[in-house]
Amino acid sequence: MKTKALKIVATVVILLGALGGLMYTSLAEGTEYYKHVEEVMADPGPWHGKNLQLHGFVVDKSILRKPDSLDYRFQIQNKGLVVHASYTGVVPDTFKGGSEVVLKGRLGPHGFEVAPNGVMAKCPSKYEAKTPGIPGT
Amino acid sequence: MPALGTFILLAAFVVASYAIAACVAGARRRSTRLVESGVSAFYAVTALMTVASGVLVHAFVTDNYAIKYVQRYSDTAQPLAYKIASYWGGLDGSIMFWVFLLSAFGAVAVQVNRVRHRELIPYVVAVIAAVEVFFIFLMVIHKNPFSTFLTPAPADGAGLNPLLQNFYMAIHPPSLYIGFVAMTIPFAFGIAALITGHLDDAWLRAVRRWTMTGWLFLSFGLTLGMLWAYEELGWGGYWGWDPVENAGLLPWFTATAFLHSVMVQERRGMLRVWNVTLVIVTFFLTIFGTFMTRSGVVQSVHAFGEDRELALLFTIFMVVILVFSFGLVIYRLPLLKSRNELDSWASREAAFLANNWILLFSAFFVLFATMFPTLSEAVKGERLTVGPPFFNKWMLPIGLILLTLTGVGPLLAWRRSTLGNIVQQFFWPVVAGVVTAVALYSFGVRVWSSGICFALCAFAAGTIIQEFVRGADVRRSTTGTDLFTGMVGLFGRSRRRYAGYIVHLGIITMFLGFAGEGFKKEEQLPMKVGQQTTVGPFTVRHDALRVTADAQKQMVTGHVSVFEDGKLLTTMEPAKWYFAKREDEPTTEVAIRRAPAEDLYIVLSGFTVDDQSAVYAITVNPLVNWIWLGFGLMAIGSLISLLPESMFAVAMSKVPAGAATTALLLSLLLPAALQAQHVENPQTIFKAPRTQLEKELQSEIICMCGTCGRKRIGECTCGLAAQMRAEVGQMVSQGKSREQVYEFYMAKYGSQEPLASPIDKGFNRLAWLVPYIIGGTGALIVGLMALRWTRREGADATGPAAPVDDDPARRQRLDDELRDLD
Repeated sequence: MKTKALKIVATVVILLGALGGLMYTSLAEGTEYYKHVEEVMADPGPWHGKNLQLHGFVVDKSILRKPDSLDYRFQIQNKGLVVHASYTGVVPDTFKGGSEVVLKGRLGPHGFEVAPNGVMAKCPSKYEAKTPGIPGT
Repeated sequence: MPALGTFILLAAFVVASYAIAACVAGARRRSTRLVESGVSAFYAVTALMTVASGVLVHAFVTDNYAIKYVQRYSDTAQPLAYKIASYWGGLDGSIMFWVFLLSAFGAVAVQVNRVRHRELIPYVVAVIAAVEVFFIFLMVIHKNPFSTFLTPAPADGAGLNPLLQNFYMAIHPPSLYIGFVAMTIPFAFGIAALITGHLDDAWLRAVRRWTMTGWLFLSFGLTLGMLWAYEELGWGGYWGWDPVENAGLLPWFTATAFLHSVMVQERRGMLRVWNVTLVIVTFFLTIFGTFMTRSGVVQSVHAFGEDRELALLFTIFMVVILVFSFGLVIYRLPLLKSRNELDSWASREAAFLANNWILLFSAFFVLFATMFPTLSEAVKGERLTVGPPFFNKWMLPIGLILLTLTGVGPLLAWRRSTLGNIVQQFFWPVVAGVVTAVALYSFGVRVWSSGICFALCAFAAGTIIQEFVRGADVRRSTTGTDLFTGMVGLFGRSRRRYAGYIVHLGIITMFLGFAGEGFKKEEQLPMKVGQQTTVGPFTVRHDALRVTADAQKQMVTGHVSVFEDGKLLTTMEPAKWYFAKREDEPTTEVAIRRAPAEDLYIVLSGFTVDDQSAVYAITVNPLVNWIWLGFGLMAIGSLISLLPESMFAVAMSKVPAGAATTALLLSLLLPAALQAQHVENPQTIFKAPRTQLEKELQSEIICMCGTCGRKRIGECTCGLAAQMRAEVGQMVSQGKSREQVYEFYMAKYGSQEPLASPIDKGFNRLAWLVPYIIGGTGALIVGLMALRWTRREGADATGPAAPVDDDPARRQRLDDELRDLD
């Protein structure tokens, strides 16, 4: 009886330990910080290379698209602080000057590098539904 | 009208509260009359909620914009069907819809079980009524769908979100709600059993059936959600680990776990605490899911927005549920002792136990990851999020383990499997799996997760086929019928087991579809007119961009030709629609070419009208359709297992020997004979149609060769099309009408498939009506019950002070005593 209890405890401990360890390591890779532009740009140093979800507003008339490609350059700002961003891919319909966006990606030497499908526009909808441009990604 | 609605809600609140009080008091005092009065009050809630729903739907249909809720979710231009669907399109209405469904389901459950589980019914009613009271309370004090404008009412409504104006979205929420709501009923039975202490296995029967029903609807709702995401959102996938979808998945995991572990309790008397816990947790997760989507705790595509007060009310309710339920479990622990111990790890109960742990772990993992942003904000003050890659990293191996167990579980014997029968049972399935793996590897498949998944699918499917063949073989030798009739006969003998296998087959098919994701190909690029690109086996050419408009919207449509091996396969028309009231939120109309092997999925993601250029997102999605097919199998399996025993027995006894085989062979042969191959025949001479009708019919009937991509017979060059043209010509010259020609082809192919467009679009949308039919049936039952009571005795609602004299035993005794006195 005693060995049986010991076995059960050992199994549980090993399983939980393994799962917990795996979870911890994969969490470290998988998480993204949700930040506003001004929080990051006030002191950009420590944020370089970290996975970020950056919230801000597209600067009016800042969107540039290279002809015949899907390469975009634009700026986003919040509370006076601005960051340059580059992106290649399809943008949501609501992505235009002044719109509220959340960008997934990393901060690099030339500004914010947006990951593929990483532009999510928040629409100023009258709706309760908060519909990002590319839901679920 | 709105005043009437509010009044009905208040009345429902009072009546439901009375139902709780009367039932609990009646059960404690053993007063049948009091309990009956409570039960009738419970039915009355159903009637009231039906009327309230009627009032709200009426307001939507008649465009009564004095009601805020109607104004916000409807407008005059909306088609009637979407006006009705707007009922559950917003927060307030969805809560009311929830209560309505719960009251209807509750009434049916009580009606069905009132004799068999007489001792449980008062508490079942009390629990369901308590849940109703909570939700009605929410509406009355906080989210009244009938609240009106104090200022003059606007002339028109804001309109339902265009994203929701979609067939799947209209039926997806109701089916999810039905799944959620149905889970309340097993919970009610569980709590009633705990309170009364009737914890023998009898209550499990009722609980199992209702969990099964809820499970089926949940699966249906989740599948529809995937279809909606796939067809409407246009990001090329079907499951993005969105919090709201996750909320539906959580109780699905625990309900699945329960449906397996309940068998262990039935067979071996084990896991009794565990089963009760699963029932409670499943119900809790349905409430938690509702809370998550409705209080703005997590961000999501279709969450309803932030609402602190609602969050607080929900939190209180959830704490009460947990404390009360688990308090009862602890109180009843002595009655829940296990009757047996686990004999060996090589046994079916051990496999079920492993399956339960993994399902439960999945539920908690998904819960944790979904709540992670909220949790991290609360703990660290910093919002950290986890994306779909994190979910996939964990759920992929978990899914594969579950798939393995799907195969292993049924092969192990109860109690203990000997080495001999393990070898005997596993040999062929393992061979199937290994052969598949080797074949895939030698064909150059190097996507590991998908490859392993295919091999496991072959293994699990192998076990099921083996079970069917062996079972049918035994049956053939005992009853002397042939193999196929024997196979059908298996369902008569042990229906639950073989229906379960069908469900498993459905799950395996779905996994095939999920594995296809590993071979997905995507491309996003701007295209000029005439430019082409190649994605997977397809070459796509941008032909033109056109702008058109109708009453509701402006439509920008890209015209695309698709080639495979240099031959024109089909043309596709992805579009963007700009609804009049929401020009800045266009909807994406995805163009999908479906095929069993892979879907070609084209989205128009941007355009320039000046030079007619367009930006396309082109995705090749292999095997996606197997997911939908898999759900179909799952539904068939569940329905077979839910059919009433008696009905099934009668049906089986009426089937003459050999009939099944004949039917099966015929159904296999017919399409084979009709599916003549498409043979390209360039020498085809197109005979000019002789009459106008013949000409029209040539463009209304589709060539059924199955390989030309549904070309019209007037255009297709294969032999079958020529034959069909000749048939049409002959029928027209015989003076047959268009309808008769239609009928001829529908009869020949057994569906509307040969028609270029379905005859009656309305019919295909019949599914809309499902919630209403259920509601209507509930109301009807309530009405009939009411009629019966009124006929039997004047009034039922005699209230708490039921006259004691009416107790027949007491009257009898009184009579006897009086007689003695005489």
